[in-house]
Amino acid sequence: MSLAKRAKIVALVLFAAVALASFVSAQAKVQLTMGSWRTDDVANWNTILAAFNQKYPAITIKFDPTNPPDYNATLRQQFEAGIAPDLAFARTYDTGISMFKSGYFADVSDLPGLKNQYDSNARAPWADETGKSFAVPLAAVSHGVYYNVDMFKKYNIAIPTTWEEFLAVCKKLKDAGVTPLANSLKDQWDINEVFLMSIAPNFIGGPEGRKAYENGTRRFNDSQMVALFQAMKDVAQYCPKGFEALTYNDSSSIFATQQAAMYFDGSWSITNYKDVPFTWSVFAPPPPRGMKPYVTFHIDAGLAMNAKTKFPKEARTFLQWVYSDAAADTIANGLPTGFFPMAKNASKINEVHANAFLQLNAGRGTDVRLTWPKLMTAPSGDITGYNLFGQATISVMTGKMTPKEAADSVQTGLAVYYPPQMK
Amino acid sequence: MQSAPAGRIRWYGAGWMLYILPALLVYIVFMVFPVVNSMRLSFYTGSGYQLTNYVGFDNFVKLFNGSEASIRFLNAFKNTWIFFAIHMLVQNSLGLLFALLLSGRVFRGRGIFRTIIFIPATLSPLVTGYVWQLILNPNWGALNKLLTGIGLGSLALPWLGNTNTALPVVSLVSSWQWVGLPTMMFLAGLDRISAELFEAAEIDGATHWQLVARIKLPLILPIVGIVSILTFVGNFNAFDGIYALEGADGQPLYSTDVMGTFFYRTGIAGQHPAGIPDMGLGAAVATLTFIVLIAGILVARRLTQARDESLSGGRIVRP
Repeated sequence: MSLAKRAKIVALVLFAAVALASFVSAQAKVQLTMGSWRTDDVANWNTILAAFNQKYPAITIKFDPTNPPDYNATLRQQFEAGIAPDLAFARTYDTGISMFKSGYFADVSDLPGLKNQYDSNARAPWADETGKSFAVPLAAVSHGVYYNVDMFKKYNIAIPTTWEEFLAVCKKLKDAGVTPLANSLKDQWDINEVFLMSIAPNFIGGPEGRKAYENGTRRFNDSQMVALFQAMKDVAQYCPKGFEALTYNDSSSIFATQQAAMYFDGSWSITNYKDVPFTWSVFAPPPPRGMKPYVTFHIDAGLAMNAKTKFPKEARTFLQWVYSDAAADTIANGLPTGFFPMAKNASKINEVHANAFLQLNAGRGTDVRLTWPKLMTAPSGDITGYNLFGQATISVMTGKMTPKEAADSVQTGLAVYYPPQMK
Repeated sequence: MQSAPAGRIRWYGAGWMLYILPALLVYIVFMVFPVVNSMRLSFYTGSGYQLTNYVGFDNFVKLFNGSEASIRFLNAFKNTWIFFAIHMLVQNSLGLLFALLLSGRVFRGRGIFRTIIFIPATLSPLVTGYVWQLILNPNWGALNKLLTGIGLGSLALPWLGNTNTALPVVSLVSSWQWVGLPTMMFLAGLDRISAELFEAAEIDGATHWQLVARIKLPLILPIVGIVSILTFVGNFNAFDGIYALEGADGQPLYSTDVMGTFFYRTGIAGQHPAGIPDMGLGAAVATLTFIVLIAGILVARRLTQARDESLSGGRIVRP
């Protein structure tokens, strides 16, 4: 064999080897897409997904979010057309369950370690009535009372531990000429979701209390509900002048410009107060004396897997990674500020205010927002439980209803269409 | 108008039909068909965009049978009439007043004032709504600052958050925005009045007020009819201005809920935050709005036609 011929063969073999090698690696490389409604969080997710890719170089995941209001409809259409992403953010309760029942979301109950990492409360929003999970719990938001630490020091005020103390703090501030609370009514959703529903678990006894209302063993106009509305009535006098016509953004500004000492808001607002010229922190809405303390730690997003994905193995690898010890730090600090991982192994959050929020859960029970599990939809023409609570809250705070009348209006409204309360 | 020679009429008869055909087609496809189809949909129910369940008059019954939907509907209906009444009283009276002032020959720089009065009507209601929200803000809004400044602090109310003041305030903001339209229409009517009439009246020694009461007002009465119809139609379809000021719920506690916002919530947006609309019920609301509008216009036409006829005799004033 001539040298030239030998060289040719070597070259051919080498070429074949290179080609084969690249073919093999191309085979092993998989790209998954992930649907989401968090268009604001592309940078956060790219960081998290890059960390995953480092651990599993063969799997890349593309974050592909949809405009939030269109997400539910778009995702359903994608599934119907067979072009749905391999992984998808999952809504909670009815919306998510309907996707599962349509056969779009895969059953992920058998993911190793899922039940250990998330307690049943955390899994419930993404489980059907038989307890089958269709998503990995991903992120939650918390509710609390933002307070101006400088003002608390100036007026020598300690953080209240009971609702009665809280009202005393409000009175003390008001007597000193300070507006105690920045909250307002005009936008409706905030007084309902981040005030009433923040304090509600304390007044009705957490998830157990909520379930008793949901299954009809308790009535929505019982003494504890009336006490809840009484609390809303009591705080009205401590809101800013003209609070009936102030918006959520107005309230944020009022707290940020130190025109009020406290503000009921959620952890998603932390970044709004990044540059304010005063020290602030958060405390948990205190329960009435003798009641167990709760924090409204509200589930936000789960992560589901397309039941017909071409890469079920890879998708499951990612879902398992999300709650693995290795990812705990990446997830905890990679999620947008104020969104918290829900796994038990979640690592410490570095952002100081977000961490303060998370610490509120220590020693307290948690529950989701009062109306989320059962009372968000109603037959056409009837008013949803969510809106009944909103109207009752505003009515009681503007003096249009007594607390008893407010609770009665919720009960009457639900008795029209909500079967457990019809009897 | 001169009539064409008798021989040509037949020929033209077919000709003009051709010219209006494109417009007629567009009108049928984009106006008549949707209106008729929406009336058809009001007899159906279902979720999403495919309404397949025929329910007869159930949707209409639901709007009158004492249910929550009917309470909201009747409340919105009532509020729309109040909204309309305030427009008639404020917007159209002011429009007439401005027109009378601007048509006076003594007035210098009336072009500038004309423009100023008309400018708000050229802006988007969303923009003016936002600006008025700032002005009416109880915390830092200009209005309450002004009231407090002149010692009327007790009158500094949360205008948009009080169930008693919200609807009048929203109506006034809307009147402010649209006052330019009746002003222009009245002004056009006043400018059309022959100067001879005024000269003759002045020679007879008529005072300024007599000119207004005896010549100007009677001669622009037909325009009052047109302005009323336009206001009526505009108010019963009003949505954007109220949405900008008070949201889709007609806050506070439905005190500014009108037909437009009620329809939007029922048929398009659904209840916040789940947002599941009922298009059949929405179509029923739209159909009822349509019927109210037709009825209102027929009544107004009847009234103004009667006036037109009575006036046509008086219009020819011979010295």
